Amino acid sequence: MDAKHDVLVVGAGCAGMRAAIAAHDAGADVAMISKLHPTRSHSGAAEGGINAALGNTGEDNPEIHAFDTVKGSDYLGDQDSIEIFTREAPNDIYQLEHWGAIFTRNAEGKLAQRPFGAAGSPRTVFAADITGHVLIQVLYEQVVKRDIKVYEEYFAWRLVENDGRCQGVISWDLLNGGLKVVGGKTVILATGGAGRLYRATTNAYACTGDGMAMALRLGLPLKDMEFMQFHPTTMYPSGILITEGCRGEGGVLRNANGERFMVRYAPTAKDLASRDVVSRSEQTEIDEGRGINGSVLLDLTHLGAEKILDRLPGSRELAMVYAGVDPIFEPIPVRPGAHYHMGGVETDSDGLTELTGLYAAGEVACVSVHGANRLGGNSLMETITFGRRAGTAAAEWALSNTTIEVPDAVERDAERDLKELLGRTSGERPWKIRDELGASMLENFGVFREEGKMAHQIEIIDGLRDRYPGVYVEDKGNVFNSDLTQAIELGYMLDLAATMLQAGIARKESRGAHSRPHDYPTRDDERFLKHSISRWVNGGPELSYKEVRMTRWEPEERKY
Amino acid sequence: MRVGMKIWRYSAETGDRALKEYEIEAPEEATLLDCLDIVKDREDGTLAYRKSCRMMICGSCGMRMDGAAVLACKVRMYDVAQAGHVPVISAMGNLPIVKDLVVDMEPFWNKFKAMKPWLQPGYEEPPEGKEYVIPQERMNVIHKEALCINCGCCVSECNAMESSPEFRGPQALAKGMRFVGDPRDGSKVERLEDYSDEHGIWECTRCYFCNERCPKGVDPRDAIAKLGAEAVKEGIDRDMGAKHAKWFIKSAETTGWLRETELVPKTQGIISSIKEMKFAMGLAVKGKVPPPFPPHVAENVDEARELHKLVHEQGKLGYEGIVQGEHALAKLDHGLEGEGPPATELELEAKPTEGTS
Repeated sequence: MDAKHDVLVVGAGCAGMRAAIAAHDAGADVAMISKLHPTRSHSGAAEGGINAALGNTGEDNPEIHAFDTVKGSDYLGDQDSIEIFTREAPNDIYQLEHWGAIFTRNAEGKLAQRPFGAAGSPRTVFAADITGHVLIQVLYEQVVKRDIKVYEEYFAWRLVENDGRCQGVISWDLLNGGLKVVGGKTVILATGGAGRLYRATTNAYACTGDGMAMALRLGLPLKDMEFMQFHPTTMYPSGILITEGCRGEGGVLRNANGERFMVRYAPTAKDLASRDVVSRSEQTEIDEGRGINGSVLLDLTHLGAEKILDRLPGSRELAMVYAGVDPIFEPIPVRPGAHYHMGGVETDSDGLTELTGLYAAGEVACVSVHGANRLGGNSLMETITFGRRAGTAAAEWALSNTTIEVPDAVERDAERDLKELLGRTSGERPWKIRDELGASMLENFGVFREEGKMAHQIEIIDGLRDRYPGVYVEDKGNVFNSDLTQAIELGYMLDLAATMLQAGIARKESRGAHSRPHDYPTRDDERFLKHSISRWVNGGPELSYKEVRMTRWEPEERKY
Repeated sequence: MRVGMKIWRYSAETGDRALKEYEIEAPEEATLLDCLDIVKDREDGTLAYRKSCRMMICGSCGMRMDGAAVLACKVRMYDVAQAGHVPVISAMGNLPIVKDLVVDMEPFWNKFKAMKPWLQPGYEEPPEGKEYVIPQERMNVIHKEALCINCGCCVSECNAMESSPEFRGPQALAKGMRFVGDPRDGSKVERLEDYSDEHGIWECTRCYFCNERCPKGVDPRDAIAKLGAEAVKEGIDRDMGAKHAKWFIKSAETTGWLRETELVPKTQGIISSIKEMKFAMGLAVKGKVPPPFPPHVAENVDEARELHKLVHEQGKLGYEGIVQGEHALAKLDHGLEGEGPPATELELEAKPTEGTS
């Protein structure tokens, strides 16, 4: 073992850093492992904001926030967790502000709040359109203040299970090469999502579902893996995100005829309906021939230069660089793109997984606050509130237990597997498999799903998984071998794709982000008001179901 | 489109260094980062560079193209390729190279950490269960500094760091300004004392390369200027750089001109200037220094004095004056002059913040 700590956090985005800070403040010796420097994490790309019922702009309270979230989840969210979430969110926001987060202010000098999709009140606290960046900076500042150890550019490869507990992580040291074993009395996964499964995605190259796949291989349950959120406004052709805040500030979607089509699909909420609803509406417009180059238009031209420069300067810059349009004068071409995984490693509301000593928080986890569809602004809040809860819980457990042991056999197995992977002298380069996976997932498991296409996609994934053991890593060196880590990431993604398709084809209904307009167009609470649970058994996914935890809200028809 | 690139390859393990040329087929919208990905996938899997968000926010992909620091994800290659130009791609400057385009960022982060980059509440305790109440225009002061993504492009280009590697550098100092300008921070004076050390604020040579090459518009040199102005305002002027700057102001206020003969004693002190006497006399004989007496007073010196008085009256000493100027220029940049009140008044007026739909 190269080092050990009370609490070891894997991933250093918003959830990971918030967990590490909480664990440190609870008295534990904490370290973080991350394949990127903390400020490079994809949380930093979040734009629009973070939801908490502060009531600074309109009447609001945690109960309304909870109801909006339950309804947004299409009743698949676990209501006890959602109530904890919305109750604790406001104080977590104040904590961030006290640490120095540079949020935008309202006329009274309090935190401004903007309207977001499917929210009953303007509830989204924000920093212009770089909210994630501001949060990443303030959390990293607090990490530096506490002098928390960060194993930077360590690529986490395997979780160590010993004696029925998770006791550490085996990583590849990118800068220096070699496997490093870091022990932890408790381990917190905060590795983010897996948007890179899709060709059109808002997600960074780093978002390859590492934590979910490591937990899956350890035999842990993943929950609701079929629910991938498609964000309605990702730019054509790059897939880069344009924030929902654009519509929050008054932007509207138009089709090729210039028609504000959301009026037809969601007469009340219009452009600010829930994300699944807006994405489906866009896709319908495009499929029925009212798109332009497979896109629709996000029109901000009526907002005026001053508002765009004050509130949406980052989005303007993104549009200018990547789409070649200045939104002050021209609409931005947008289409739905893979954005957020509602599913993930199953945890309780303290982030604890099925395995003693292993916790998860943020997008890698499924608490589940988001159910079948996440509301914009709820994911940053989830990383903070559940990051903190997981950090505190993991520290408490670690401080009341003492031993860490990583059996030699585990290290030897890892060494052997690595040697085998690097030892291949020929084979297929991973990018072909990666590109085929990304294109086929978008084609067959995108905004709309149907039986035949999903069955076909299962065959495709089986084929890709057959090819994967032959992939060839060209770089044999020790220093910054990203060729090696990218090959390992591809393996993670293939396993996750298999669980997603199995859960998707079995869910014979339409709920939230899982939409089957041709064969099962409606929600079926009788058969499917339940979580999908995926486990890895004998080299493949195995599906079962689990009850949704309900407290106060009975399922109703969902209209916006 | 066909894209050609020459990439400086480097292996720390063997010490080998070589300029290798690649030619690839890329989509028209491809960025430099996209092109590197194509090289790595299809031509040479051993090519090393950092990347993540590919949308100008994570700060991973700082590198040099034709000798100038860029974010690889921000550079569209279409025009370069159309012109038939084959750019040279290399690692950032002022940081040790690890492999190919990957540099060791540890010195960079050590300087960041040395700024004590976290809010230190002090003047007023944070309110329990509520936020601090601060007008937006007060927070606008550090708007640009808050945009920094720590990519290192400014450090790569910093001329002062090239000759003095100990210099804190543009990104660390910009981070420092982010706290000095934050009304919630209670350690402004301690910070300014700290940042005025030997390798701090006054070691910057004002070449403006950092402003020029920052991909996010942080303008680190302006942040350093703000720190300097604020330090002088707070009376922290033991560094020669501060004394130098103070004399410029004094000289402009009194005679409307810079009086070079007095600059040396005011900056370096009497003893040091006596040592320079021989050199100065030589300059004077050659007519390179105007005689100190009688003092040369500018024709419109009253205007200079009026300006000086105005700045004092408005309380725009320290960083506030610079910020006001920046905001006025930004408005002009966006073609907003003539719309609404002039920039100075916009500064003072709280902006509307209610979300509308």
